[in-house]
Amino acid sequence: MCPPEHFGVLYEINPWMHREVTVDLDRAREQWGDLVATLVEAGAEVELLEPQPGLPDLVFTANAGTVNRGRYVPSRFRHPYRQPEVAFDVAWFDGHGYDVVELPEGVGHEGAGDALPFGHAFLSGYKSRSDAAAHGPLSTLLGAPVRPIELVDDRLYHLDLTFCPLDDRRAMVAPHAWDRYGCKVVEALVPEPLVLSDDEMLAFCANSVVVGSTVVMASCPPPVGRQLEAWGFDVAVVGVDEFQKAGGGCRCLTLALDVATPAGAGPRPSTETAAAR
Amino acid sequence: MTASEVVEVDGHIIDSLILAKVLDVILDAGGDYRILEVDIGRTSVDPSRARLEVTALDEDALAALLAELQIHGANRVDQADAAVEPAEVDGVLPAGFYATTNLPTQVRRGGHWVDVDNPEMDCALVILPDGRVRTAPMHRVRAGDPVVVGRTGVRVQALERPRGATPFEFMNSEVSSEKPKEQLVARVADRIKAAKATGGKVLAVCGPAVVHTGAAPDVAALVRAGIIDVLFAGNGFATHDIESNVLGTSLGVPLGDGLPPEGGHSNHLRVINEVRRRGSIAAAVRDGYIAGGVMYECVQHGVPFVLGGSVRDDGPLPDVFTDVVEAADAMRAQLPGVAVALMLASTLHAIATGNVLPAGVETYCVDINQAVVTKLADRGSHQALGIVTDVGLFLSTLAAHLL
Repeated sequence: MCPPEHFGVLYEINPWMHREVTVDLDRAREQWGDLVATLVEAGAEVELLEPQPGLPDLVFTANAGTVNRGRYVPSRFRHPYRQPEVAFDVAWFDGHGYDVVELPEGVGHEGAGDALPFGHAFLSGYKSRSDAAAHGPLSTLLGAPVRPIELVDDRLYHLDLTFCPLDDRRAMVAPHAWDRYGCKVVEALVPEPLVLSDDEMLAFCANSVVVGSTVVMASCPPPVGRQLEAWGFDVAVVGVDEFQKAGGGCRCLTLALDVATPAGAGPRPSTETAAAR
Repeated sequence: MTASEVVEVDGHIIDSLILAKVLDVILDAGGDYRILEVDIGRTSVDPSRARLEVTALDEDALAALLAELQIHGANRVDQADAAVEPAEVDGVLPAGFYATTNLPTQVRRGGHWVDVDNPEMDCALVILPDGRVRTAPMHRVRAGDPVVVGRTGVRVQALERPRGATPFEFMNSEVSSEKPKEQLVARVADRIKAAKATGGKVLAVCGPAVVHTGAAPDVAALVRAGIIDVLFAGNGFATHDIESNVLGTSLGVPLGDGLPPEGGHSNHLRVINEVRRRGSIAAAVRDGYIAGGVMYECVQHGVPFVLGGSVRDDGPLPDVFTDVVEAADAMRAQLPGVAVALMLASTLHAIATGNVLPAGVETYCVDINQAVVTKLADRGSHQALGIVTDVGLFLSTLAAHLL
């Protein structure tokens, strides 16, 4: 995670961002501190990236890159505002013993914000920020299948606003944010989905951090909370509305370093789905 | 004219339904695709790869479709410009030169596809100073000519079979002696009329059997009527045509009662000798030595003819090209505008003509011997439609339809 010392809405690169909206930096620091404390209490260890002046979105470490089994693939940002972040991200991973491998020139991908592991595979959002063409090379670099999903709602510009893996069978899913092919892919991949309504999706429910059996969320509408509890999860709500002014929620503020998909070939999705047109 | 490009999409395109989506996007946009290659990963970890030829109504529609496909990760295969090397020596191509087919061909230059002016098989592609691209036979290439090398940046278009009631469809290109001839000839006549109506030329390639079977007067009538515009033949055909008109025999055999007269075997030599005395077939027509026949009509009606020589030739007639390279060049010079080619009982000249014809020319090969027709197709003239029949019968029926 990266402390919000230099956080602010200094430019507009998603529909949530409005430069005329002021960020209350003290409140942001407080919310970020609460998030760290909640994660630690749930059993997480938190590593810190040093904040940098002029890089307000460095705080959203989910976009630093994609991690799998000790390997780190730095992001290639679409917007020039965020491109200078990469050097600092790479320096951190380099300094912490990760195997740093880069995507080829010319294909954009915005890290764990757009690539989430489920089972043996990654789902990867594309169109708003990441390129569909990135999924091939990303798959090679991560050593796991990557299944691209088209994001069709501009407000849900990263996959992590629409999909939240809970365990190896369950995930929160927001099918309205995907095209029909993407919906079929998720349907085939996730045996027990918790389907979010539009309102729940826009309340950043899917942008939650899961630590063990604790789900750390920006807000928890009762239907979502009931289902999560029925499945045995504890819900911890941490307000992060200062960060939502920039279009980011709890998960955007974190990057999971312990991702490790099982090596080897996982099952193919059911033929019925794969053949579905 | 439709426009097409090759795109490639790879990764987990099967499991993520990206391939299905890309194909749907193409069809939804009113385009079409041909799957050139699909390589499906063995396990769910192995990536798959597909190469598609995407066709749209025109260049603009294609550009819009390609932009849409790119969003889903299907990228245009980097089509490099064709590589070009200068010929070092006259008549010698750079090693690795692109060898042509007779199909419509395009060459990529400066990011654009340029049509090759004159498709011809077994040639090289030469870039002209004004940017056009022409086929050139090996011997025509001069030192310094930019010649296309390798296959990159060169593509050929498969010919669409003409649709509608054409003999092509009717015959489905099968060579057989079992087809009803009368209907076939009528359809060939219709195709000739259609070609003439749109300004296309008709080329006749004649073998000596045209004369032996007594069909030369029909060919002469077709020339006289302006239906045959170009004639290719050899020394034999021209000689027998003249012999039959001057002496009434073909290779010494009277075309009338068929009993060979004493010394008839030398008739053709005497005819050749007399034409040689006059300097040319045209001169022999002018001074009245030749007063009828195919060659006579060609001279009288200004129909160009090319007589290609061979080692076996007697004489030969003064108009015969004894240099084969010059003969082929003379044939090439007569090809522009030719829409229909009739190969009439000629094996060697038919194949020679097939070698220089673009695949787009409707070609009918008439021979009593099925092997001749097959041979023509085997030498690359796949567009040739074979009609296995007696050439005399064919020509008299054709003339009856057209005259």
